[in-house]
Amino acid sequence: MRDVRIWFSKSGAVKYVSHLDMFRLMTRAVRRADIPLWYTEGYNPHPYISFLQPLPLGVETCYEPLDIRIEGEIKNEEIKDRLNAVMPDGMHIVAVTQAFCKPAEAAYGEYKIVLDAQDIAADDIEKIIQDGALTVEKSAKVKGRKGTKTVDVSAAIHSYSVKTEGDTVVIEVTLPASPELTLNPLQFLESISNKYGTTLYPLSACRIRLLCADMTAFS
Amino acid sequence: MNKKLEKILPLVQKPARYTGGELNSVVKDKNSVDIRYAFCFPDSYEIGMSHLGIKILYSLVNARADAWCERVFAPWPDMEKRMRENGIPLFALESGDPLSAFDMIGFTVQYELCYTNILNMLDLAGLPLYAKDRTALTPLVVAGGPSVCNAEPFADFVDLCMPGEGEEVTNELIDLLKEHKKKGSTKAEFLREAAKIEGIYVPSLYDVTYNADGTVRAVTAKDGAPTTVKKRVVRDLDSVYYPDNLIVPFIEVVHDRVTHEIFRGCIRGCRFCQAGFLYRPIREKSPETISRQCEQLIKTTGYDEVSLSSLSSSDYTQLEPLLDKLLEWTIPQKVNIALPSLRVDNFRKDLIEKLTSVRRSGLTFAPEAGTQRMRDVINKNVTEEEIMETSRKAFEGGWTAVKLYFMLGLPTETDEDVMEIAALARRVVDVFYNLPERPKGKGVSVNCSASTFVPKPFTPFQWEPQLSQEGIAARQELLKVSNKSKKVQISFHEMHVSFLEAVFARGDRRLSKVIETAWRNGCKFDGWDEHFKFEVWMQAFEECGLAPEFYANRTRSYTEVLPWDHMDYGVSKQFLIRESEKAKQAKTTPHCRQQCAGCGADKINGGECDARRQNLVF
Repeated sequence: MRDVRIWFSKSGAVKYVSHLDMFRLMTRAVRRADIPLWYTEGYNPHPYISFLQPLPLGVETCYEPLDIRIEGEIKNEEIKDRLNAVMPDGMHIVAVTQAFCKPAEAAYGEYKIVLDAQDIAADDIEKIIQDGALTVEKSAKVKGRKGTKTVDVSAAIHSYSVKTEGDTVVIEVTLPASPELTLNPLQFLESISNKYGTTLYPLSACRIRLLCADMTAFS
Repeated sequence: MNKKLEKILPLVQKPARYTGGELNSVVKDKNSVDIRYAFCFPDSYEIGMSHLGIKILYSLVNARADAWCERVFAPWPDMEKRMRENGIPLFALESGDPLSAFDMIGFTVQYELCYTNILNMLDLAGLPLYAKDRTALTPLVVAGGPSVCNAEPFADFVDLCMPGEGEEVTNELIDLLKEHKKKGSTKAEFLREAAKIEGIYVPSLYDVTYNADGTVRAVTAKDGAPTTVKKRVVRDLDSVYYPDNLIVPFIEVVHDRVTHEIFRGCIRGCRFCQAGFLYRPIREKSPETISRQCEQLIKTTGYDEVSLSSLSSSDYTQLEPLLDKLLEWTIPQKVNIALPSLRVDNFRKDLIEKLTSVRRSGLTFAPEAGTQRMRDVINKNVTEEEIMETSRKAFEGGWTAVKLYFMLGLPTETDEDVMEIAALARRVVDVFYNLPERPKGKGVSVNCSASTFVPKPFTPFQWEPQLSQEGIAARQELLKVSNKSKKVQISFHEMHVSFLEAVFARGDRRLSKVIETAWRNGCKFDGWDEHFKFEVWMQAFEECGLAPEFYANRTRSYTEVLPWDHMDYGVSKQFLIRESEKAKQAKTTPHCRQQCAGCGADKINGGECDARRQNLVF
């Protein structure tokens, strides 16, 4: 029995697969690939499959970790090849490694957001971020009840860059992705939309990678 | 995916309903095929993707090099609103192309309350609703599924229907359409030829006349169309096409597992059950074939559950050999076997133990009625002792929740029959508490679901009235107050929905105007409580000058011409009349393996019926 970390990318239609559905998708993929899964003992045996960081609906990812527990002798490279042979379009296994970092060590996410240059100019975005006081409403439990809380986005941005590329505007931004606070790129964009006055829809939004608190890659 | 669609997808619920790209979905080069077929399910993605028929026919058409079958579902109202705002026509999931680009558009019609969704989908595709207004040969609009046994209420909207089983006739139809498309035939020329294929009904080739009292005077075939249209059946289930993979949806659907049909037809002859007559004669698939096909499907989908489907699973003659065969590989692969549609009278503990060796699913039984007399009227050959015995076995087997299905408003039903439903449920509770070895520390829960009886075509009750709305309301109330047990929960089906079902199940062609009017006034997704607008429907009947009670609550005579009399589903009218008379005397008919009741369905299958063949075994 050992734990392996599977690094996958998702783009295209699969980006609309929710966190819960991703779990079912990966469970079935592992079964199709005939990877010897470890099952829990007991009345309702189930495998151990764990996603480390949920992604919001519609966000792509380049390098996303997923942990599974396996039994028997099988090489990481073979797990990767077998999985890639049975993945739906848009899902790709980039690497299979040992699980080095603990899930709680993830602290930041690096994102790339692409906007239509007709919707907003790079300079406008630059100015909005520079002006600060960006906020967004997040759903949260308030005194045990469902409610919302206001999150200071400006304070949470670790670093960013904005540039024009052809007829698109590309934002690269590093946002917190820790158990204490997680901001996703759509919430970041929403905070900009709030200042800009019109709702911005991204052409694409992608998580490039996860980082640890010391800004080294989460591995 | 196009840019317009990309922009609206983040704004709707469950966007993965609309993206396609699921595992095992088929993408072809549209320039390399002759026929493009848009297979439409007039309900949500989650309902449609749970349906076995659409998956079989999808693979069957895509197995041909010259055709490409794609899927289309009814967009949920939030998506429909965005599509209309942004000028996005209804599109197929695989290519994203609008329906107007297809040669054939096929609807599978599973129940009466999806008719407005069919209209809504045609409209979203930018196509005229009425067949007569779509003058070109393509896109041809076709329909299949159980509800085409009486297609009359929606007959004006479709070019042709395929009564019966689709595995063979779909290919024949595609061949014919391909030929006529090449020849440049007109739609009328094509339809006249199509009507000659057994199992194809072309409504426009039948004139309907009415009597002064609103009943049908005659249905007359013209232009060489057959006087009666025979449904198609597949004779051998072992050799018929079966897919070796299934599309695996990204999002969770209603039946998210491998479903496998173990036999077609039903030996029971419950007199209210349309499926039990429509799908005759009995044809079984061999355990070897089922096990082999299931294992293949588990391999290609990654599912961890197989559901063995049929109208009455325990009537499969080789259930035990089948389970043994399946368990050989399902246990090591940790695959669960679900066996729905078990009957009360032959629920066996050893069988259940085999199933629980993997995982356990819920238990549901359908006594249908509270008294023996009532069960005899409907020919549900189940006794009270059997119900109690089954419950005892279930409780001994560790179950603590049982679901029981009943119907209200059955022909000849009295107040006593209704009150006895509550009493029966109470006696099931008593069985639990009288058990010395009942599951400790747990209570018992008996959930009774009471639906309203809907008389359907091709059943012995096709001449019966549905009980009036007031009558149903009174019986629901009576059942509610009759229940004194806290362990018994009683729930009801929305009776207005059952009323409309009764109207359309036995409706005629004049109802197309009502469907159109209701749809124009905002009706769609009528099968969903949150979208069902009963007042709008009633207003539509009034606007069209038709009384729904004429269809739902009227007793027909055996001599009346029924709107579906020109359809032949095998079972003869004489047989249905015999059964109807026996029902009136509360006389039962033994099941088909005990004694052939002479329903006539074998004639449509070359004189063969597996129920008779396997008679010798019993």
